[in-house]
Amino acid sequence: MTNITWNDQQPIYKQLKEKVVELIIDSEVNEGEAVPSVRQVAADYQINPLTVSKAYQELVDESILEKRRGLGMFVMECAREKLLESEKKHFLNVEWPKIVQKIERLGLSADKLINNKNEKVEE
Amino acid sequence: MTNLIEARGLSKSYGSHQVLNSVDFNVERGKIVGLVGPNGAGKTTILKAVLGLTSYEGHLKVLGLEPDKQRHQIMQKVSFIADVAVLPRWLKVENALEFVTDVHPNFNLDRAKYFLSKTNIPMNAKVKELSKGMVAQLHLALVMSIEAELLVLDEPTLGLDILYRKEFYNQLLAEFFDEGRSILVTTHQIEEIENLLTDLLFIRDGEIVLDASMDEIADKYIEVMVSKENVEKAEALKPVMQREVFGRKVYLFEGVGREELELLGELHSPSVADLFVAKMKEGK
Repeated sequence: MTNITWNDQQPIYKQLKEKVVELIIDSEVNEGEAVPSVRQVAADYQINPLTVSKAYQELVDESILEKRRGLGMFVMECAREKLLESEKKHFLNVEWPKIVQKIERLGLSADKLINNKNEKVEE
Repeated sequence: MTNLIEARGLSKSYGSHQVLNSVDFNVERGKIVGLVGPNGAGKTTILKAVLGLTSYEGHLKVLGLEPDKQRHQIMQKVSFIADVAVLPRWLKVENALEFVTDVHPNFNLDRAKYFLSKTNIPMNAKVKELSKGMVAQLHLALVMSIEAELLVLDEPTLGLDILYRKEFYNQLLAEFFDEGRSILVTTHQIEEIENLLTDLLFIRDGEIVLDASMDEIADKYIEVMVSKENVEKAEALKPVMQREVFGRKVYLFEGVGREELELLGELHSPSVADLFVAKMKEGK
């Protein structure tokens, strides 16, 4: 895993969980592959192992990871599809409305922006 | 037994000067506990009492044993790095390994050799030829090779540069710590280890002023950056500390509900360093 800068608005285990979700969506860890061990992640980021376990456990509860006895944590089949689905939902329900709001506040048009998405505005 | 350390009414005075004033705390198995306080607050005295290096009054059990009477038994299951840790300058690394093998029944020589093989420390080097960082690495290699249930660290990274400090805690987490052991650590570089801790103890003038898990702290202490129009509302909720950032007030609240504070501005978790400053100023 690459570097993470923690923010102080969310518990670290939540931020770590999001990072793992990102890795799966970006196919940096594929379905059926192992995620780094709790010990490894704890040592790399100098965080408590319990914090790492908590993040992994939530992903187990959501059927994204599975624990294989003695082998570690693995990304479940269909995990990527599942995550993509929920990320899409989140984007459409939470993030997109905010973006639309901002577009309107700035007096821009969403249609034009999308049609000319590669054009840059002269400053 | 889940408490590796149990202190009740632990007191210590040097003549008329009371350095520990009836202190209560526990260190449970599987925890990494930070003991934090200003110089002279009593941190080292607590550690010394735990290790049986000083007399004390009150109840103190370490691994179910009494440090002032059963120090020998405790030492077989406890290891320790002191802030003033020194190894004899003339000692060769290989002699240090031989020595600990002979005196400590729970020392694992192969493990120590394995740890050292990952450093640049030659086995035939003398301590005086090693850099300060290397001496710390050697110390850590010796201590991590003792099958200890409790590891006590008193300013273990004092005087080391940031790379060695990171490496130190990295090794500790990768190679030593597990749910069967506990670590009790004091340090002034608290920001470097705050994410590593499960529990926090603040000590001031010989008294414990905060004893909580990191989860409890995250629930109880919240910082809010408050816009001008909300300043009065915020002050009515009796913040324990305030400071200014870019001309805006930042308040620290203790035990005020998240829902109530969300109305005032953006919520943050205070750093342990900020919390420490607040607790040390409290009531002064």
